[in-house]
Amino acid sequence: MFLTRDEERILDGEAGPGVQLAMRILVKLGDVFGAEKLVPVASAHVSGISYKTAGDAAIEFLRELREMGARASVPATTNPCGFDERLKGLLQLPGELVRAQEELLSLYEAVGLRRTLTCVPYYELKPKSASHLAWAESSAVVYANSVIGAYTNREGAPSALAAAIIGKTPDYGLHRPENREPGLRIKADFEPKDELELWALGFLVGELSRGDIPLLEDLRTPSDWELKGLGAAMASGGMTAMFYISDARSAGKAEGLEGVEVGRADVEDVIERLSSSDEPDVVFVGCPHCSAEELGLLASLLRGREIRPDRSFLICTSRYLRDAHPSLISAIEASGALVVVDTCMVVSWVERLGADVVATNSPKAAYYLPGLSGVEVRLVNLKECVELVCSR
Amino acid sequence: MRSDREALLVLKGRGIVEGRCVAEALVSSMPLSFLGGVDPRTGIVVEKGHDLEGLSISGHVLCFPHGKGSTVGSYVLLALKRRGLAPAGIVNELPDPIVVVGAVIADIPMVVGVDIGKLGMGDLVELDGGAGVVKILKRSGRLGHVLDER
Repeated sequence: MFLTRDEERILDGEAGPGVQLAMRILVKLGDVFGAEKLVPVASAHVSGISYKTAGDAAIEFLRELREMGARASVPATTNPCGFDERLKGLLQLPGELVRAQEELLSLYEAVGLRRTLTCVPYYELKPKSASHLAWAESSAVVYANSVIGAYTNREGAPSALAAAIIGKTPDYGLHRPENREPGLRIKADFEPKDELELWALGFLVGELSRGDIPLLEDLRTPSDWELKGLGAAMASGGMTAMFYISDARSAGKAEGLEGVEVGRADVEDVIERLSSSDEPDVVFVGCPHCSAEELGLLASLLRGREIRPDRSFLICTSRYLRDAHPSLISAIEASGALVVVDTCMVVSWVERLGADVVATNSPKAAYYLPGLSGVEVRLVNLKECVELVCSR
Repeated sequence: MRSDREALLVLKGRGIVEGRCVAEALVSSMPLSFLGGVDPRTGIVVEKGHDLEGLSISGHVLCFPHGKGSTVGSYVLLALKRRGLAPAGIVNELPDPIVVVGAVIADIPMVVGVDIGKLGMGDLVELDGGAGVVKILKRSGRLGHVLDER
């Protein structure tokens, strides 16, 4: 890989051990994946923030980085952690878990990361189209590449952190325009009737696409929150980091591509596969974190409704969006639903809620929850989520 | 370092992290997740159903196809290193970012692009991460993993 004189100096340790370690990570990855150089990034988004999923090993690594004097040199946002104040009380978390999570958060802050604690950082720090990013969090990566038109690979937690410190990332994969062309056409021979069918289609597309960038044909144009969930579902079904839908941007790109046709039965099969039970104790939406548009939908669906005493409704969003939309939040919470920020059901200790079955509209959450928290899942659309949890 | 010793078989791959070691091979045919799959306090594989389940990776040349699972798994290799429980070396068929970054930050010699099927459980191997070479110095005569090590 070609390195500038400054990059060489950093790699040789002349700028200190923290940046040297970060540079070693980037250069090794660049060598392995055939990058010719490093490319400056406008921002980094770092995962591995929840103590539940990152563990003590992350704390130990961050302590070393802090002691080596490493600091982020570009705006760097953080993924959700294990709890907010409200969830901490609900879950009755033991002191040791709370202390470990708080130490991990303060270590990330000490190396210069922002305490955004959300998987939708693009609503508060929107990247420019065609800007280079180093983002972990697979759902945000798909959104950035496909909806915003920015350039990012699916970074891992350590490589996004290293990129935050150096302000650069190896120039390979989706940073190269020639690698951003679709490789597979997917044609749904039905109109998804709700967001759940669309997202289940996304999960299937992730499975079918393998390493290819899929081009989804003949879909009505989804709205922003539907696109956010569509990308998240693709990234959890497979390794998808970018997709196209047939529109002006993808005009002419479909020619000569192999095509796969998907029917409603295939999508119903995905929903069936990801569902294991019927009667939920907890209903959860906000994977990825709810956008303002979704909070608005929820506020109108919940108007005049009341949450059943034997069930709870948890709605996850970012602190930024909650604080930006106080009237939507109060409309939602008037029903008894709880808006939770900084965390989500997937990276929290949801098993401590005493719930056996969680209903959600998110295929991504449905895919991860059984393994991470041992709960069963019922996958239904947003309106059905509301019906399942309301007494009137 | 017994580099003067005659090798029974020399496997040429691609060096990822520099450094040399001589140790017994611990060979798996299955991808390995370090986060959740290996206990960072003991170095023992805890993933249910894994062909290395119950075995310690510490001090061995750990040979497996590639990593899987959470990218936070890289940090587990560093945690093992700090406790003196890291593998002596790592051999993968395919490079993946989790194991590559883990080996870089924990400074564990690593070679990729080697056919794991040529290595036997318990073989004495020499790994040279700079040259990208794995040499088999002595065959254990065992194929795959053995139950009596559990």
